[in-house]
Amino acid sequence: MTLYDMSHEAIMEQLPLTEPVLLILLSLAGEPRHGYSILKDVERMSDGRVLLSTGTLYGALRRLLDGDWIERFEERETSRGRQAYRLTAHGRRNLQSEITRMKHLTRLASLRVAAKES
Amino acid sequence: MLTAYRRLLLFYPAEHREQFEQEMVDVFGEAQAENQDKGAIAQGAFYVREIAGLLKGAVREHFRVVFGAHAGLSLYARRFTMRDGFRFPKTTAVLMTIILAGLMLAIKRGEDIANSLPHVTPQIGPIQPMHSALLPPIALIFAGFYAAGLIGWAILFALRRSGVHRLDEISAERK
Repeated sequence: MTLYDMSHEAIMEQLPLTEPVLLILLSLAGEPRHGYSILKDVERMSDGRVLLSTGTLYGALRRLLDGDWIERFEERETSRGRQAYRLTAHGRRNLQSEITRMKHLTRLASLRVAAKES
Repeated sequence: MLTAYRRLLLFYPAEHREQFEQEMVDVFGEAQAENQDKGAIAQGAFYVREIAGLLKGAVREHFRVVFGAHAGLSLYARRFTMRDGFRFPKTTAVLMTIILAGLMLAIKRGEDIANSLPHVTPQIGPIQPMHSALLPPIALIFAGFYAAGLIGWAILFALRRSGVHRLDEISAERK
């Protein structure tokens, strides 16, 4: 079985994602980014609440690369030829599964809280 | 500070350094430059976060090397699976059970012999267990040595210096 043939159950086994990993994936969902850009985008998205260290960032990137959620490529636009990262189709699908799971959870939470209040 | 950062990166496995060292140094340099305009507290917090993140990351990477690449993603769900090569050998468990059974049998036999001795001559029996003041400290010293040895071996194992990984490579080559 290749990673692309993973069943829904196999994907769900890898969820939930930790907040830093989810934010990294969301950062890459819009456009490919290099390390520092991810760091700043995660900080922006979380209103300065999640401040990633380089150790945490590259640990997460490493595991996401191993799982084939993201891929690494050399940025051609810059003179330095920096390494950048982008989501793979597999990673995008898994991110979508996580968002669906969270939507379901928040919907359920809203219903339960509303039921208790009424 | 970049030199100190590079030194701390030495705690990472060589494989990780080869792939990410320069990139991590570059990103750290950019983040450091941005933090230079901020106050002393913000700068202190930045360095503490970086050092803690690096040390935690190094431990996690060594863990990944020991337990395999799949341990990484499983960790997101707070689980990890042990790699096949590091399962506790069944033969060891069997051997330990046999030794324990032998020990219990020997104790039982010793008690039987003690009870079978005639009690007519009080000078001979029953045999009383000897209480030595030296035994607990000796046991404690042995336990200390054992723990130190175990910690030392665990460090060597994590740093891939114990030789166990070479055995794993040999078996992989044969395949």
